[in-house]
Amino acid sequence: MTDKKYLETHEWYSINDNNITVGISDFAQGELGDIVFVTLPNVGEEFNKGDSMIEIEATKTVAEAYAPMDCVITEINSDLDSQPEIINSDPCGTGWLVKADIKILDDTGMSYQEYESFIS
Amino acid sequence: MNDLLTTSLYKFHQEQEAKMIEFAGWHMPFSYEGTIKEHNYVRNGSGFFDVSHMGRIYLENNEIENINKLICSDLIKLKNTKAMYSIFTNEEGNALDDVIFWKFETHIILICNAINRYKITTHLTKNEISFKDITFETSLIAIQGPQAIELLNTLLEIPDKFSTNINKTFTYARTGYTGEDGLEIMYENIHTDQVIKFLIDNNIKPCGLGSRDTLRLEASLPLYGFELTEKISPVEANLKWVINNNDNYLGKNIIDKHMKTGVHKYLKKFILESKRIPRTGTEVKSNNVSGVVTSGNYSPILEKSIGFVLLDSLPESNLLEFDIRGNLLEGQIINKRFLS
Repeated sequence: MTDKKYLETHEWYSINDNNITVGISDFAQGELGDIVFVTLPNVGEEFNKGDSMIEIEATKTVAEAYAPMDCVITEINSDLDSQPEIINSDPCGTGWLVKADIKILDDTGMSYQEYESFIS
Repeated sequence: MNDLLTTSLYKFHQEQEAKMIEFAGWHMPFSYEGTIKEHNYVRNGSGFFDVSHMGRIYLENNEIENINKLICSDLIKLKNTKAMYSIFTNEEGNALDDVIFWKFETHIILICNAINRYKITTHLTKNEISFKDITFETSLIAIQGPQAIELLNTLLEIPDKFSTNINKTFTYARTGYTGEDGLEIMYENIHTDQVIKFLIDNNIKPCGLGSRDTLRLEASLPLYGFELTEKISPVEANLKWVINNNDNYLGKNIIDKHMKTGVHKYLKKFILESKRIPRTGTEVKSNNVSGVVTSGNYSPILEKSIGFVLLDSLPESNLLEFDIRGNLLEGQIINKRFLS
């Protein structure tokens, strides 16, 4: 699996062969506050880069997570159904959102260092 | 955030690494440990809120008759040592602000919303009412929760509910904005360190404006700017219980007409079995009655979405349809309290 890359819309993704794992950054979860509901897509759903894939409801506000590249959903994190708060406690690990097969590779996300300077 | 006002607890908020936000021109704590955690401290134990951003106005009791011409409740009949929730109305019978009065033998403390402090002080001046704005020289702390009174008993003589008390250092009332028992305590800023020490020593947890909002919503309490505005009357906001002033106060004729005819907007509570939260501004339909969500959030106790909706007229059914970002979702009007 490659190192995580970050988007300006605060998602991270990592590439494993032809599959990506997507989540939101620690900064994003901190800005959202307590996450209470997550609406995930269905396995098999297709998204183009920039499409809204996921809705995250928090006590402070609602946010969407966008597709980092053209992809097809292969797995969703069903733990988020009963424990959406794991996005707060472990956004870059057990709080991942979806896995998806890559349709068109677009590995142009920021490195962690680049993202850190982007948010500061 | 350079030009924002700060309270006497600002250093404490920074030491606690609170997440800070701008609110009504003040730099205030949104949360310390997380909104839901803080919500549960107040529901199950005790928590405190720095609400020093709220306006505090000192009035002599000889102004009571003049104030009574501007509010929809009867301040003349209110006994000394009692607290009263009321609403300043405009000529259209709508809300200029919702406020609390603390009545003492010689004077009154009027507590108004931070966002309306200038509006209310201007309104008082315009109506030739003498007052002293003591917002900046004092602090206001709300200590709330089922354990709050027992803990405060060691510091203060506890008044009855909705009653006030005063001693050399503290002016306080058994009031709040969370649906829990507790006190709201005002004191001169020089006592802040002493107050913080008491709160920490008694393990009363700091809570931010995030949980203050989820707590008030769960307790079915309105927030000015959302459930009450200069376009919404207290009758429309389902606050008929506040209206008991027989004086010819500002906007009384329209409020009386609303009461008599029932022809007006209706604020209703709703609950939703969905993973989406209808936020402020969400459009709602109940059959052919349209409405808009004034506040909506997650209830940590019910673990559901709850809120207020302002409907254009009285709905015929309790069924609501919310348009949440293009998704049509069903909800229910709730006529009883959210929490039993």
